[in-house]
Amino acid sequence: MTDQFNNRPDIPVSHLGVLDIIRVGGSGLKTRRFRAVLSAIGITIGIATLVGILGLSESGSADLIKELDALGTNLLTVQAGEGFQAGQVSLPADAASMIKRIDPVYEVATISRVSGGVFRNDLIEDGRTRGITIFAGDLNLVKAQRGSLKAGAYLTDTTSEFPIVVLGAVAAERLGISEILGDQKIVVGDTWFTVGGILNPLHLAADLDRGAIIGYGAAEKFLDHDDPADVVYVRAYPEHVNDVRSVMAATVNPQNPEEVQVSRASDVLEARAAATTTFTSLFVGLGAVALLVGGVGIANVMVMAVIERRNEIGLRRALGATRFHIASQFLTESLLLSTIGGVTGILIGILATAVFTIIKDWILVIPGYAIMGGIISSILIGGIAGFYPALRAANLSPTEALRTK
Amino acid sequence: MALADESLPKAVELKRVSKSYAGTPPVNALSDVSISVSRGEFLGIIGASGSGKTTFLHIVGTLTNPTFGSVFINGLDTAGMSDRVLAGMRSKYIGFVFQEYFLLQGFTATENVENGLLYSGISASERRDRSEAMLERVGLSHRLTHLPNEMSGGEQQRVAIARALVHSPSFILADEPTGNLDSKNTESLMELLVSLNDEGTTMILITHDLDVAAMSKRQVTLRDGRILSDSYVQQGSVND
Ligand SMILES: Nc1ncnc2c1ncn2[C@@H]1O[C@H](COP(=O)(O)OP(=O)(O)O)[C@@H](O)[C@H]1O
Ligand SMILES: [Mg+2]
Repeated sequence: MTDQFNNRPDIPVSHLGVLDIIRVGGSGLKTRRFRAVLSAIGITIGIATLVGILGLSESGSADLIKELDALGTNLLTVQAGEGFQAGQVSLPADAASMIKRIDPVYEVATISRVSGGVFRNDLIEDGRTRGITIFAGDLNLVKAQRGSLKAGAYLTDTTSEFPIVVLGAVAAERLGISEILGDQKIVVGDTWFTVGGILNPLHLAADLDRGAIIGYGAAEKFLDHDDPADVVYVRAYPEHVNDVRSVMAATVNPQNPEEVQVSRASDVLEARAAATTTFTSLFVGLGAVALLVGGVGIANVMVMAVIERRNEIGLRRALGATRFHIASQFLTESLLLSTIGGVTGILIGILATAVFTIIKDWILVIPGYAIMGGIISSILIGGIAGFYPALRAANLSPTEALRTK
Repeated sequence: MALADESLPKAVELKRVSKSYAGTPPVNALSDVSISVSRGEFLGIIGASGSGKTTFLHIVGTLTNPTFGSVFINGLDTAGMSDRVLAGMRSKYIGFVFQEYFLLQGFTATENVENGLLYSGISASERRDRSEAMLERVGLSHRLTHLPNEMSGGEQQRVAIARALVHSPSFILADEPTGNLDSKNTESLMELLVSLNDEGTTMILITHDLDVAAMSKRQVTLRDGRILSDSYVQQGSVND
């Protein structure tokens, strides 16, 4: 209806400023603090879960990216694959030297599996090998893996000719050796070897973590091993890795290239990052469910508030509140509840992520979209949850609202 | 003693107002009620329970529309006014006092009185100043920061009266304001209402208590939604 009463100085219109709307909306919470806290908890848990899990996931992948940067994505692993005929196939004896001729290749290191077990001593052996494999390895093996030593030193020109062994991280743990103390000897094959070093975990070649690495010279001298390389680790210039990879099989074994298996070690780490993403989605889903439950909780509390505060609604109408003022009061109350809950959730989420990253020694990354998303979703939830109760309050007739019995 | 001022528009004028509530059978809460109230009057509305007193007050207070008839507030016909304009009329021209006080729990006397100015577009600091002054006027300058549950019933009703008066309305509508008070508090509250009327406030007081009604200058009796009698009381007749 067109309002013929507009702009007539003798006819007043009702006013309520934005600040007063917020103040009045907050007043409902002031006298019901306990209930306000209870009803906001759902939103807090939901937002804290979302911010926490997104923060952890981002911090985790930041860590993974850092790790990948450190390890490089240009390491190719070349080994014998399955042949067409039954039985073990192996790399040709000249594989390593062929690979060295590929132009963008700048580093090549090999290992060769040596048969035999590794034992702490020769007395109480029960035939169990503890899953430790003996490898003959090149002098630049650790460098090619960008690995590092936990203790001692890696093989050198000299030590590779002597009965000196370097243990992978897992192998050392299984043997109960954690440091290099004087002349620590173990049995490798059937010969006493001195432990010269212990490696930190190698992220690009987990097989070597379970290995006992000796020099090619020592393998030949003491364990009668002179087989060629089983695995060749190849570093190529990053921009040409794919080219090198595509010519690798034919270079190594021109007759039967299908017997050569080439893989990129960093792919495993990247797959791990992808798996984390799936895990993250699951928790984001859980957080969303908590948010939904929180929203229903707020709607419930708001409907109750409208019923209980019928007289207040009637009084405010009598004092000059319009339907719109009543609606905005209850909508504001709902928005305040959800936003306070949401902001608390964001803070808890950040705190939890910070604690976790400190423990894990990761970089703390809280993505901006998690914070923005948290704020926006709490506002949306508050708005949706408060909409129906606000409408109900506004449509209550003043005479009905003022009734006491 | 202020007399009815005929130079201003009537505070309230009802013309052939009827109000019925749907139902089987429908309830005719008010039937063909016509009445006008001038500025400065002290009108007492008397009637048994269910005679239509509260319905009358809600119609005069623009909280509900009549089924038939016209309602004029300060000479303005309320027919066709939007929710926003009607709310504005209440925020400026009408002050309500209820039997149950309807103070907001958890808020001080001053904050409760401030609510009487909340919807009239006045600054917060002026709302505070005027509310404190009004509490002083009703004799509660020592209760400004008290909460409702720290005050007696009589004090709470005084806070409610201050809230109804703080925006300087054209008239006060009081529905059984002494209904929850003992005789001593009733007496002092009536003294307050009489002195406010002496200062010029138009009073429309609803009651089923004849002693309370006796304080008014003009008495209207309702029965079954109709005006049974409407008469001016001789001054001093209360104590005869
Ligand atoms: N909302 C309503 N719906 C139906 N009937 C009502 C309603 N309000 C009041 N009534 C009826 O209207 C009549 C007058 O009520 P009311 O104005 O409250 O009287 P009083 O205040 O004098 O006790 C009563 O019969 C009452 O039952
Ligand atoms: Mg009544």
